[in-house]
Amino acid sequence: MTTTATAAPAIRARGLRRSFGDTLAVADLDLEVGEGAVFGLLGPDGAGKSTLIRMLATVLRPDAGEASVFGHSVTTEANRVTPRIGYMSQRFSMYPDLSVAENMDFFATIRGVSKTDRRARAASLLEGMGLAEFTRRQAQHLSGGMKQKLMLATTLMHEPDLLLLDEPTTGVDPVSRREFWRILAGLHRAGKTVLVATPYMDEAERCTHIAFLDSGRIKQFGTPDEIKAQVPGRLVEVSATLPRAALAAVKAVPGVESAHLLGDVVRVLWSGSAEPEQALGAALAAAGVDGAGTREVAADMETVFAYLADPSTGSGNAGTP
Amino acid sequence: MRQALIRVGAIVRKEFRHLGRDPRMLLAVVITPVIQLLLFAYAISFDVDHVPTLVIDFDNSPASERYLQQYEASPFFDVVAHGTSLAEVDTAFDDNTARVAIIVPSGFSRTLASDATAQVSVLVDGSEPNAAKISQAYSVALNQLYGQQLTREWADAQGLDLSSFGLLEPRIRTWYNPERRSSDFLIPGLMVVILAIVTVQQTAVTLVRERDLGTQEQLEVSPMRRIELMVGKLLPWTLIAFLDVALITGLGRTLFDVPLRGDFWALAVGAALFVFASLGMGLLISAIAPSLDTANIMAMLIAFLPSFLLSGFAFALDQIPVFLQWISYAFPARYMVSISRGVFLKGAGFAEVWPELVSLAVYALVMLVISSVMYGRRSSR
Repeated sequence: MTTTATAAPAIRARGLRRSFGDTLAVADLDLEVGEGAVFGLLGPDGAGKSTLIRMLATVLRPDAGEASVFGHSVTTEANRVTPRIGYMSQRFSMYPDLSVAENMDFFATIRGVSKTDRRARAASLLEGMGLAEFTRRQAQHLSGGMKQKLMLATTLMHEPDLLLLDEPTTGVDPVSRREFWRILAGLHRAGKTVLVATPYMDEAERCTHIAFLDSGRIKQFGTPDEIKAQVPGRLVEVSATLPRAALAAVKAVPGVESAHLLGDVVRVLWSGSAEPEQALGAALAAAGVDGAGTREVAADMETVFAYLADPSTGSGNAGTP
Repeated sequence: MRQALIRVGAIVRKEFRHLGRDPRMLLAVVITPVIQLLLFAYAISFDVDHVPTLVIDFDNSPASERYLQQYEASPFFDVVAHGTSLAEVDTAFDDNTARVAIIVPSGFSRTLASDATAQVSVLVDGSEPNAAKISQAYSVALNQLYGQQLTREWADAQGLDLSSFGLLEPRIRTWYNPERRSSDFLIPGLMVVILAIVTVQQTAVTLVRERDLGTQEQLEVSPMRRIELMVGKLLPWTLIAFLDVALITGLGRTLFDVPLRGDFWALAVGAALFVFASLGMGLLISAIAPSLDTANIMAMLIAFLPSFLLSGFAFALDQIPVFLQWISYAFPARYMVSISRGVFLKGAGFAEVWPELVSLAVYALVMLVISSVMYGRRSSR
């Protein structure tokens, strides 16, 4: 096994392509993930996230292109790649009738982890993830969040340098999601490289780098700050007793890039030169909207991607995510 | 190599755990064979004796009485009723109270006395062809014996000494199964059928299940080779199959008095190879079947039918159509039925059954390799 101190990036993909029948899942994709990154792969269902991760995990062959992990080809040197990666698939893939401890022990054994290491690592992982009291419980009787933690713990038993996590928090309650990301942050501090696919935009903020994937192509790429900077203007929230009336009133104001309803507030992307509070306030007053108030907020990823993914934005029309 | 053994061991341990956690599965592999053995052994019997027989004597002479006495004395026929009219034959056959009717016409003794050939009607219920065929043969034999007896009496009466004449007397003996008990014949074959069902059925679903659970991908990112997975999956079932062999042999010997005349080790090696061949077949199904249901149905078709019908278990192989004979070579059951019967009944050992053993070994190897390759091809789609 080689050491982590190599010049090659954790992941490098060039012209990677894979289709299923007539559907092109991953289309000539280039990707580079540096060592130690927490790389978020964002995108809607069917964007190609799973296909990309499975190819990097060596369980799916690319139709064309080349990918390497720590400098080793995933197609021709799979046996040098797999010892260094931990792959967590989208669906729960443990034996339901085996206990938490048995599952972890089994997968670590076939991964070649020695008995003493298995025992020590299982104890500390279960402790660290709050699974210690469920050691003997059958996997099928775990809650959704615990199942995901069991999968992650199992993935970590052979101490991989790169984690490939395919939507690890999908279908998991918010508390468990936060806890899962707390664990990932710990792994990041320990120097692991993490590639994590997620449909949740808010999770992107926790990544060091993100790529937005759509129709098998990377549409946006950078650090969260870089991505946010691509959105022109400032974000303003308009609240009113009748939000729909407020939306109609602000839509036509010059300087409004896009405006859409989010719950009972109107989110406005402002690129005008004037202060948005005054300009919008004037428009709302003119339209006779009651109880209106405006407030500038920090742009979140959800809004950023809604803006970036919407082909109509940028032309001055109101965008609907 | 050490690592490979550790990995195989991990699979074996895991498979036993699955088995231990699923009582139905345990039931399926241990209790079912016993039930199958008892059911088959009692239900399928080709034994024919104590055939219920109706006799009608229209002659009512000492000669006809003596003739019918033979049927009373034979263990093959059970004379259940003495009738007086032909209509009773229909009733008896319809009610299944009799399967054979012997009718002595009036004038029987007179015809015999006038040195002519007397005729006796033997009516046989043909709805059970096997019993009918044997009843027919037996009654023909009885008639011949009676004829001989008459000849001898006639010669005596004429003062002839037939001892210098030389008579032919057939002495029929059945080898290997002198009492011609069908359980002796069936149970060694039944063992093969049961082994095939247990092993093929269970392994057929095992790889499909890994695929359904998604655990297959986790196995793929481990350094474990496919052949290690296959061997790890086979070993627990081999052990269980051996348990079944011991169980069936034990029950066969104690409950049904089936003899074990030959070399037990030849049987054991044969069983091991047969189990490997069947498991290989199961794995092949598992590797190519798209779903658990398909795997189950394929296993049933491939394990049960050929081992029942094309193995020589139910039908003698040289009596089935030629193209079916050719197909029978493609299933391991025919080799194993031949080994099993050879060892149990004919007292065979390695010297006699080695060609079948070699066939099974080659078969097992080919199956294992093909299923390994097919499994690999499917997974890297």
